[in-house]
Amino acid sequence: MVILAFLLVVAVTGLFAVHTVRHALYWRLHRDDPIRPWMSVHHIAHSYRVPPYVLYQAIGLPPIAHDKRPLRELAREQHKPVSILIGELQNAIAHSRPPYPPPPPQPPPEGGRAP
Amino acid sequence: MNLGDYLLGMLSVYGSTVLFGALLVGCVGVPLPATLMLIAAGSFVEQGDMNLWGVLGLASAGAILGDNIGYALGRWGGHHMARRLSSWVGGENRLREAVKWSERWGGMGIFLSRWLLTPLGPWVNLISGITGYPWHRFLFFDVTGEVLWVVLYVMLGRFFSNQVQTTQEVFGDFTWLFVGLLAAALLGWQLIRYLRPVSLPKAEKDKILVKDAT
Repeated sequence: MVILAFLLVVAVTGLFAVHTVRHALYWRLHRDDPIRPWMSVHHIAHSYRVPPYVLYQAIGLPPIAHDKRPLRELAREQHKPVSILIGELQNAIAHSRPPYPPPPPQPPPEGGRAP
Repeated sequence: MNLGDYLLGMLSVYGSTVLFGALLVGCVGVPLPATLMLIAAGSFVEQGDMNLWGVLGLASAGAILGDNIGYALGRWGGHHMARRLSSWVGGENRLREAVKWSERWGGMGIFLSRWLLTPLGPWVNLISGITGYPWHRFLFFDVTGEVLWVVLYVMLGRFFSNQVQTTQEVFGDFTWLFVGLLAAALLGWQLIRYLRPVSLPKAEKDKILVKDAT
């Protein structure tokens, strides 16, 4: 009985070890967190080191300072599935990184100074 | 949309009070992604959206309150549960042994289940209450363990603020790997003891040798 339990625990721990090493390697090689519906645009901009206005532009919204709304809520407001919104953001992120040129500085808002 | 995503969205909008509520309910036993919420809160602190002391204070308070509700449920609502538990584990004697074991190792169990083996936390709370583990000792190990858990994961969230999901996945794996290694070590030790030939005291050996000679 003890031998069986020992073998079972060793097998499960071995699988966990492989899983952990794969995750840790992925972590080392891919620095980007997957985009999830709970994330706000500012959080995604922070995660991907992209200016927030680039992401707002991509989803057709004016940049809002301290906007904490999650993507789920933005998708509901825009009447589109959250997966479409995530796709638009991923596309914008890919186009703001090499080999594409860096995004231009944020344009000033209409009739005022840039925030 | 899963519950975790929904709660994290709420955390982003409403802040530390959501963390307080989620940790309270989670520590009573409702399965919620509490560790991921702590890491996310750390990330929000780093981005300037939340106050560090507010997060640490409310998260610790929610977790400690939830644990004590679990303990109270075991202690004062647990007579029926204790009777059933004693019939499951093999009678009153076994339950008495469990109480003894809990008195001897309970502190370490409570402390480790707060920050390392967190899925066991709600069960340890209930069992501590059922076995009548002294409340002041429970509270001491609970507070130290929960504060360590909250500070550890909020700081991880601050440090890896741009990798919330991945940090939770990697550190969650490390926890289970540690549990597996610990279980393997304990079972391995038992196996070695079981397989090792029994060494008799010298007097017994001499008796056998004399018998064999005659």
